[in-house]
Parts: sequence; structure tokens; C-alpha cells
Amino acid sequence: MTQIALQHVTKRFDNGHEALSDVSVGFEEGSMTFLTGHSGAGKSTFLKMLLAAETPTRGQVLVNGVDISSMSARKLPRYRQNLGVVFQDHHLLTQRSIFDNVAIVLRVIGMREREINRRVRAALQTVELLGKESLFPRNLSTGEQQRVGIARAIVNRPKILLADEPTGNLDPDLSRHIMNLFARFNQVGTTVIVASHDIALIEEMGVRILRLEQGRVVSDRGGEREDLSEDRGAGDHSAGDSVGMVE
Amino acid sequence: MNTSSTRATKSSGQAGMVWQTGGLRLFAWIRDHRRVSSESLRFVSTRIGTSLLVWLVVGIALALPAGLWLVQVNLAAMSAGWEGRPGLSVYFSPGTEQELLDDAKLTLGTLPGINTLELTTAEEALVEFRADAGLGGSLDDALTALSENPLPASIRARFDRGLDAPSLDRLIASAQGLDGVVEVVVEKTWLERLNELSNVVSRLGFMLGILFGLGAVLVTASSVRLAIESRLEELQVLKMVGASAGQIRRPFLYFGAMYGFGGGVVAAMLIALTLLVLEGPLQGLLGTYERALNLTGFDPIFLVVLLSVASVLGVLGAMLAARQRLSALEIF
Repeated sequence: MTQIALQHVTKRFDNGHEALSDVSVGFEEGSMTFLTGHSGAGKSTFLKMLLAAETPTRGQVLVNGVDISSMSARKLPRYRQNLGVVFQDHHLLTQRSIFDNVAIVLRVIGMREREINRRVRAALQTVELLGKESLFPRNLSTGEQQRVGIARAIVNRPKILLADEPTGNLDPDLSRHIMNLFARFNQVGTTVIVASHDIALIEEMGVRILRLEQGRVVSDRGGEREDLSEDRGAGDHSAGDSVGMVE
Repeated sequence: MNTSSTRATKSSGQAGMVWQTGGLRLFAWIRDHRRVSSESLRFVSTRIGTSLLVWLVVGIALALPAGLWLVQVNLAAMSAGWEGRPGLSVYFSPGTEQELLDDAKLTLGTLPGINTLELTTAEEALVEFRADAGLGGSLDDALTALSENPLPASIRARFDRGLDAPSLDRLIASAQGLDGVVEVVVEKTWLERLNELSNVVSRLGFMLGILFGLGAVLVTASSVRLAIESRLEELQVLKMVGASAGQIRRPFLYFGAMYGFGGGVVAAMLIALTLLVLEGPLQGLLGTYERALNLTGFDPIFLVVLLSVASVLGVLGAMLAARQRLSALEIF
């Protein structure tokens, strides 16, 4: 079942730069995909579309059949609560402990502190950082900081995990370890989309690879390209279906 | 992935449901308020220098209108407790006969708008004059030496409350038409002046309340905006992980309320200090009018209202800052 579908998506910024040009692509639920391409190819813009941090100039971004680019500001937070996002530069809160950095996600959804404590510890254990929850980001290495970012992304058990160059600053061994973590999340049903230009590592993973160049999808290996303009089913869902996805 | 973490991940869908059932959502909202309020209190108290400055500025801005309101309340209380009323005095030519004076009193008594009448004969006026002036020595001798009493008989009329200007004009004309009348003096008692002063103070307090209230809002807005800027990355993370606009705004509304409340406390302290400083001179001033100082208004109700208004103004300032800055907040 197609969970995410971009239909003829074009993104042109105010300065005239076209980051995405008529991109149509779909992602199956529980799939894992790498987005690759040179700097400026449109990978980050692609992910920002899925995060609803950018809206397309033309086209639609459908998640479970709901066009998130036209979703109301009131509904967007609940959509985002079901995404996990990892950035190259972590975006950790320097004044907060590792525990608080990860717990912030669960506090947003109003979880009880006891459950937060349990979940955060589980997430930190998954990324092998249990025992460092009282430290601050400055006390950790770059790789550890990236793993805190991953723990934050997975702690709410997201339906979709997005990662933008998550191994950009890491050595090959650590990069492989991080990618394996993503693969493990994918194995339990999470749809994973990773933007990376580390071709060698991507090839090792043996999953679908979408290659972007100047805002266009120029190759799609390991997965079937779909003609999404004919994917009528995607557009038939009502807005309320987004709640179904959340659950 | 090990078995335990796999199980944990498979139950993932339930997390999102926390927000979707009414009861749990309410509890989550309460929990969030509790957490944010304690975090905000910590934020304000750890930046005590900045907080004190904001409290002082807001306090000074609120103290003036609140103090003027107290002044107005006390002036109004003073005039309400005063029995005097405005009126007029009708003076007769010296030597006017008693019968004519009695007729005049009767005639005035029938006119609308007259509340009380008091006739003072020339002899009574002289006695009062001697008593009030405490005469002695040469002036007393001079008065005794005069062949006749130089003081005129008079009738003092007090008006009904709320007498309008046309009625007053008719009364004056009627009094001037009486036999033997040489002068009609319409009195403006100091009470009237007090009432007018009270009105001026009331309006001044109202205008200053608006202006200084606006000042308090802007000061809070400016401080909250700085707090927003210092936590911008945290707000971006919050937005990214699905915090609602209300959740992102919430800590800053608490800041605003705390800045406003603290400002209210400072305002109350400033007013109390001012009252303490002015108590002595005010007692002396009122003593000259044979009145005792009995300040009212600075009571628990006043304090509750002052602190509530201050808190609301703080929240308004925070809302202003949050609206300006957070509406354009982008995720990285």
C-alpha cells in the first residue's frame, strides 16, 4: 500500500531557484529508501516536503491519501507527532540533558512522566547510550550526539522516519552502525527515507535508491517507479484518514 | 534489534492516541501546564537580574494609575461623608426690619430647589464675627464704639442635591427680587471643588491607566521577545516534533503572567511606601479642615485586582510578542 506519494511536485523558491521539478514518486508503507544526489540536488527540500516544513509550488504531497501541503495549521502538529526526523547537525538542545532532549517528543504529546522515563530509557538503550541520560550534548562525541538525535526521532515510535544526511560527520564504522539502526527500525514496520550522498554505504544496504539531480528523479533502483498521476486511490481518502495514520 | 525493543516498536501506534481521547487529552493538557509553569518559574528565577528589572519597570508603570485611583476613591469617600451642600447667601441692607426678614425667609422656603434656610440677624452676625475672629484690644473697642452694627442680616440657603443651572438662575432671580436684598452670593463650597478635583483625578487616572498599561504591555512584550529569541532552536525542535502553536506559545504566556504579577507586587509596594511617606502631611492638611485622615481603598480587594490586572497585562504583552515572532517560526 502506498503510504507516501508525491504527485508532480515542483518547488520554486522566491529567488527563482527550482529545488524540485515535477517530481512524482511513491513510497510503500514499511519500505526503506535512500535519496541520493549531489549537494543542491533537492534531497533536503524533498524531506522538508514530507515534514510539511515546505509547501510545493505545484503538485501534491499525499500521506495516507491526505494532501499534507494543504493541511490546516491545527492538524499539522498531530501529523508531525508521527514522524521521526534526524538531521546531520543533530539540532540537540545544548541547555538540556540527554534525557530531556529525547523526552521533549513525549512531553509534547502529554505522556505521563513515568511512561516517558521508561520510553526514553528504552530509546537510549536502542542507540546504546543508556547511562548517559544525565549528561549534556557537549559532553558527548559527534557520533553519540547523532545517536541522541536518532533516539529522539524514534522514541515516539513514528510511522515514518526521515533522516537528512545522518552520517555526514561520522566515520565509516559509525556511519554503518547508524544505517543499521535505521534498517532495524524499518524491519519493524517503520517507513524510512534517508537522504545521503554516501554512495558506497548506500549500495551496501541493498534497498531502494532514488537519485535526484537538479530537482528531478533521474533514477529509481531497487523499487518500482509508479505513475502516481494515475493513483486515483490516493486522492479518494478524506482528511479524517490522517488520524488513521496517526494511530 | 532485540526482542524487547521490537515489541516496544510494534506497540508504537498507541502513542499518538494519547491526544485523541477526550479524557486523556485533558489530563495531558493539565500535565503540560504544570510542567511548563514550573519550568517558567525556574527560567524567571534563574535570570533574576533581568526579571527584577522588568518587575521594577512594570511596577512603576502600574503604580501611578493605581495610586491615582486610590486618591480618587479617597476624595470621593471624603466628599460623600461631608454634610455640606452648595447654596447661596442673601444679604440685606443694614437696618432691615425683622418682619421683612421673616417674610423673605418664608418666600425663599416656597421656592423649588431650596433644602434648608438659616436666618442670621445683624446682631447674631456680630456675635459670630466676634467669636470667630477672637477679637480683642483696639479692634474690639472700635466695633463697640460704632454707633450701629456694620454687619448685615443674611439668609443662608442650602440647595437640594443635583440642582441644575436653570433652576439655580431662577432661584437667584427670585432672591434678588426680595425687599431689602442688596446682594445674592452663590457659594461654591470646597466640597464642590473637591468633587471636581475628584473628577479630574478620576479621568487623569483613567488616561494614565491606559497609557501606562500599554507601557507595561510593551515592556513585557519586549522581555518575552528576548526570551523567545534565546530559545529559538528549542521552539524549532518543538515544532518539528509536533508541538501545537498553543504548546509553543505556552511558556511565554507564563513568563508574561509572571512578569506582570511581579510588576503588580512592586506597584503595591511602591503605593504602600508612598502612603507611608504622605501620611503625616495629609494628616496635617486634613487637620486644618477639622477632618481626620481615614485612607480607604488599599485593601485586599485592591491588591487582588491590582495583581490580576498586572498579570493580565503581562499575558497580553506575551501574546503580542509570541504572535509577532512565533507565527513566522520555521523548522530549521
